[in-house]
Amino acid sequence: MNYFGFGQSADVDIVFDGAENRKLAEVKTEDNKKEKYLLYYDGETVAGKVNVTLRKPGSKLEHHGIKIELIGQIELYYDRGNHHEFTSLVRELARPGDLIQNTSYPFEFANVEKPFEVYVGSNVRLRYFLRVTIVRRISDIVRELDIAVHTLCSYPEMNCPIKMEVGIEDCLHIEFEYNKSKYHLKDVIVGKIYFLLVRIKIKHMEIAIIKRETTGSGPNTFTENETIAKYEIMDGAPVKGESIPIRVFLAGYDLTPTMRDINKKFSVRYFLNLVLMDTEDRRYFKQQEITLWRKADKSRKSALTSSNNPHVPSHLVGSDGEMMGQQNTSHQSNDGEDRPEADNDPTMGLFTQESPLQQQNPITNSESSSNTPAHLRPAEGAAADQSASLFDEATVNVGSDSNPAATSNSTSHLTQSVTTAAVSESSKSKSNSSTVDESTTPLASNIDSTSD
Amino acid sequence: MYQWNAMLYGSSNQFAYLTEFQHQYRFVDDALKASSDVRTLSTTMDDQEKLLGDAIAIVRSQAFQMKRFLDKSRLMDALKSASTMLAELRTSLLSPKSYYELYMAITDELRHLELYLLDEFEKGRKVADLYELVQYAGNIVPRLYLLITVGLVYIKTNNSLKRSILKDLVEMCRGVQNPLRGLFLRNYLLQCTRNILPDVLQSADEQEGVVYDSIDFVLMNFAEMNKLWVRMQHQGHSSERTRREKEREELKILVGTNLVRLSQLESATLETYQRLVLPGILEQVVSCRDAIAQEYLMECIIQVFPDEFHLQTLDPFLKSCAQLQPGVNVKNIIISLIDRLAAYNLRNSKTITEPGEEVTPIIPQNVQLFEVFSIQIANIVQVRTDMPLEDTVSLQVALVSLAQKVYPDRVDYVDKVLETTIQILDRLNMHNIAHTLLVNQELSRLLRLCIDFYNNILTLIQLKHFSPLLDKFDHTSRKSLALYIVLNILENETLIPTAEEADSVLVMIAPLIKDENDQSVDKLDPEDFAEEQGIAGRFVHLLKSDDPDMQYKILQTARKHFGLGGTQRIKHVLPPLIFQAFQLANKYKHIAEDDANWDKKCQKILQFCHSTISVLARADLPDLALRLYLQGALVIGQIGYTNHETVAYDFMTQAFSLYEDEISDSKSQLAAITLIMSTFEQMTCFGEENAEPLRTNCALAASKLLKKPDQCRGVVTCASLFWSGKKNGEEMRDEKRTLECLKKGARIASQCLDTGVQVQLYVELLNHYLFYFERGNSLITITMLNQLIAKINEELPNLEQCEETKQIEMHYNNTLAHIRLRMEAMSNDTGLEVSFADIVLSQ
Repeated sequence: MNYFGFGQSADVDIVFDGAENRKLAEVKTEDNKKEKYLLYYDGETVAGKVNVTLRKPGSKLEHHGIKIELIGQIELYYDRGNHHEFTSLVRELARPGDLIQNTSYPFEFANVEKPFEVYVGSNVRLRYFLRVTIVRRISDIVRELDIAVHTLCSYPEMNCPIKMEVGIEDCLHIEFEYNKSKYHLKDVIVGKIYFLLVRIKIKHMEIAIIKRETTGSGPNTFTENETIAKYEIMDGAPVKGESIPIRVFLAGYDLTPTMRDINKKFSVRYFLNLVLMDTEDRRYFKQQEITLWRKADKSRKSALTSSNNPHVPSHLVGSDGEMMGQQNTSHQSNDGEDRPEADNDPTMGLFTQESPLQQQNPITNSESSSNTPAHLRPAEGAAADQSASLFDEATVNVGSDSNPAATSNSTSHLTQSVTTAAVSESSKSKSNSSTVDESTTPLASNIDSTSD
Repeated sequence: MYQWNAMLYGSSNQFAYLTEFQHQYRFVDDALKASSDVRTLSTTMDDQEKLLGDAIAIVRSQAFQMKRFLDKSRLMDALKSASTMLAELRTSLLSPKSYYELYMAITDELRHLELYLLDEFEKGRKVADLYELVQYAGNIVPRLYLLITVGLVYIKTNNSLKRSILKDLVEMCRGVQNPLRGLFLRNYLLQCTRNILPDVLQSADEQEGVVYDSIDFVLMNFAEMNKLWVRMQHQGHSSERTRREKEREELKILVGTNLVRLSQLESATLETYQRLVLPGILEQVVSCRDAIAQEYLMECIIQVFPDEFHLQTLDPFLKSCAQLQPGVNVKNIIISLIDRLAAYNLRNSKTITEPGEEVTPIIPQNVQLFEVFSIQIANIVQVRTDMPLEDTVSLQVALVSLAQKVYPDRVDYVDKVLETTIQILDRLNMHNIAHTLLVNQELSRLLRLCIDFYNNILTLIQLKHFSPLLDKFDHTSRKSLALYIVLNILENETLIPTAEEADSVLVMIAPLIKDENDQSVDKLDPEDFAEEQGIAGRFVHLLKSDDPDMQYKILQTARKHFGLGGTQRIKHVLPPLIFQAFQLANKYKHIAEDDANWDKKCQKILQFCHSTISVLARADLPDLALRLYLQGALVIGQIGYTNHETVAYDFMTQAFSLYEDEISDSKSQLAAITLIMSTFEQMTCFGEENAEPLRTNCALAASKLLKKPDQCRGVVTCASLFWSGKKNGEEMRDEKRTLECLKKGARIASQCLDTGVQVQLYVELLNHYLFYFERGNSLITITMLNQLIAKINEELPNLEQCEETKQIEMHYNNTLAHIRLRMEAMSNDTGLEVSFADIVLSQ
């Protein structure tokens, strides 16, 4: 009926109840612009009105029914045709008939379960939207409107600090510590680096926050790494015994909560990458996964400004940095033997070096050989799945000749694993290539508290 | 390389600037990366200027931007400009000097930001989370500068944050480990906090902090700065060491400022200093094991903290000195401390000893200043085996100077130091220390210090270890020291009143007095030698006691010492000794009434003189001996003790025999015989039996002189023997023999062939004639005078005009003038014995 231009048509508007009081959240669109959508949480009722405005007043609109749907779906960019809907709710607004005047239909999706958070990444998008459809004989009138959804978490029960000693034998030994393994999005990472041995000329040290987005499964896994923030924490070359404080405020960065295996389609995880650069521009780094979670805004406010004065800076060294102080003293008193915390959490890590020429020389070293068997994992170990949480992109690329650790007798058992467990940071260049499956990645380094 | 992803964080507006904040760092990063490649190239001065100029230009423009934004209240933009400006401080290319200039320019600009923020805060317009906000800066150096600036504003507007923010800042600064950048960053921290450090012992609000927090804060900053400063030494190539050390030298003040800050904490009491401050500093100083740092910082401690504190903390301080690195000049540190304390002592004793007020001891009773130093220095000497000997001695010098300045009356302290020094030298088996060695100089300094301080040889003698130490030197230095001592004695006119003391002194200055075994064979410059000995001669006069008996003993002692001096020396030193003896004899004469034995004593003294003179005579010094004999004879004559005539006669005969046997030169002969005659003429003590032979001998000797003019003069002089020579205590007035002598003189003169000499002799004769004529010798007639005048008048014009002739004429004219005066006087007054009338003055 529209062919001739005199068919009736209508504009559809969706108006949410309480929209003026509801918060807005910025969500990226595919073309990297940002839009503000109304923000809903899991279990909240989504209700409102659908206003249908006839373009030609006086003439009727014939339809075969009007419905509204609430849809949550995951779109994989490489698979444009297939959208995976994980939520789809429908409400009938009108039975088939004629519309003769502008009409407003209330709707309500009571206590809707919204299990996932809105996400827009480089290969995947997770969105919620409402879709009003006026079904007609030839072409339906459709109106879609996105909403934002945030998933809130409560404070994690287990939140141990991340501690690890890493090094390159006879070259560089450091111990680092982050105060938590799980941070909320407005949190502050507090930590310190303790230099046990320095025989290279370090130029500076920085912490990078890396977002790793994994999509697909099986052979069709795609991984995308993105450096969200790069934060210099040390300038110049330290000497043995120095301890360098870390304090990174997360609120300023574009972060999302960690997402694991969302609807078996994708994962988004975050890593702290500690990078040391020497004077010849070689890079040594160590990645640690951290879990990010979203905390309710109100509680954040109260947590941050616990004192009466809203202008008191939080996270000063003296207040929540005690951990560092303790560490300091224990090191100064006895460097060699008495390190109870390290024993409790005997994590021995890989330290990966990346030369400017992109030669990858992952090197590992064990500080105390008596501990190592406990946290070494045989390549075909049953718990291989867990170990993947530390390094999920690993390539085996190092021969024994390039491995300095091979010469060490105290770490001979380690050497074996190193040759098969070389870990390297995979840069974007290979992000689209399929990498070694997580479950088969043999790792020398132990799982730490971040695995959950 | 990482992709840099700059995205706006939507929900929070205040972070909107972050994107750019971070963005700009990428460029700075890249720029730095590019520049790091050329970093290895050495930068010349021109490059430095250019680099600095570029940097300053950026700073200026960014600062301008910043201020503009501040004016418009666009704080975020202003912060962004500030951090761009601060990013200039990330450079590695500038030398410390240029970096300092850049730093000054930038911190100057940061003041604007600080003032703006302060203003805003005080108006109540606070920016939420500003402290957090500035920490988003991606690069650590600008971030920390901003953090400090903002932290300062927080503290100033809210005292209760003071403690925690100070702690936070000093801790966060650890992130900069590059020495140059770290030093300046921490210096900025120190500068910013200088007026707000808590300086109270107790505060109402615990969070405001107390002085202990300040101490912790500064000590920590100090330790970190020192570590950075020391680290500079170990960077780069060893070939650039000199340059590095120069650079470190330029930066040392930054480290030292920490100590200044500590010293400015007024509520830090002595107890606090003892318990917290000093141990903290010393621990850092000792453990850094860097010579440059240790030397500078120890010096710094001495200079910045008050002396009252030093006095109570000598032990720990000096103990630390012993633990310093081998390269450290511990000597200077300790000397500096000693000097300061000594000056303190001096200064305070001046102010305190005001009239009417009781003199309180400056150095507290419980501080055994000398003992502490003594023990600790001994400890240092023992521990630091590498220390050069001269430095060890220098320490002893310092110790002596301390003892002298603080305990001027404690001679035993000084002696103890000297003893220690000897022990040290003994241990090293050091003898005969050559004057070319450095240690010799220091040792000399040590001894000279003693000499100069007391300015009294007698005190010096009390130092039992002074002489033994002196013996450690080689001859040259011993001699110069001996000379120094003697000069000191002369300058202060120290009298040496006893024989023992004289003996000690003479032993001490032995190198001046006698030849020694280790003397160098080279002959000394005669003039220098004469001067030296002249000084020694002057010294003899100070060997003086009020007690004559003691004086005699002193002379004997001195004689014993000087007797060993050898021909060259006795010529200079024995005569004064002899004169001393003469004086002594005179003195006995004076006190004859009090001392019954004076007579014998004089005899003994004269005996002493006689033997001493004979030594001189034997030593081939006839002229000197002759004169001394004559002088002796005169003295004897005056004293007139028992038996004096014989002794005097003996002296005279000794003189005669010297004249006859030893004096051969005609001029000396004339001089000698003239002297003998004049002496004899003075003598009254001789009886006729002794006088006659002497007189005859004189006349004989005079007429036997070789040259005619000499003969003439001798004979004429001889005339006085017969005229005014004494006989039984009265003048002889033997007119006949007087005239005979004159006549004989005239005869001899007439035999002279040289008319010039002849006329001269005539003029002289005329004078003699006139003399005796005036004295009333009746045998001399006007005729004789007229004859002589006529003779002279006749000869004088014939003389060739020369200098001598002029003199003769002058002499003659003066004589004539005398006669004329006499004639005139006579016309007025007839009271004269003789008449001058009828003298014909001219033809």
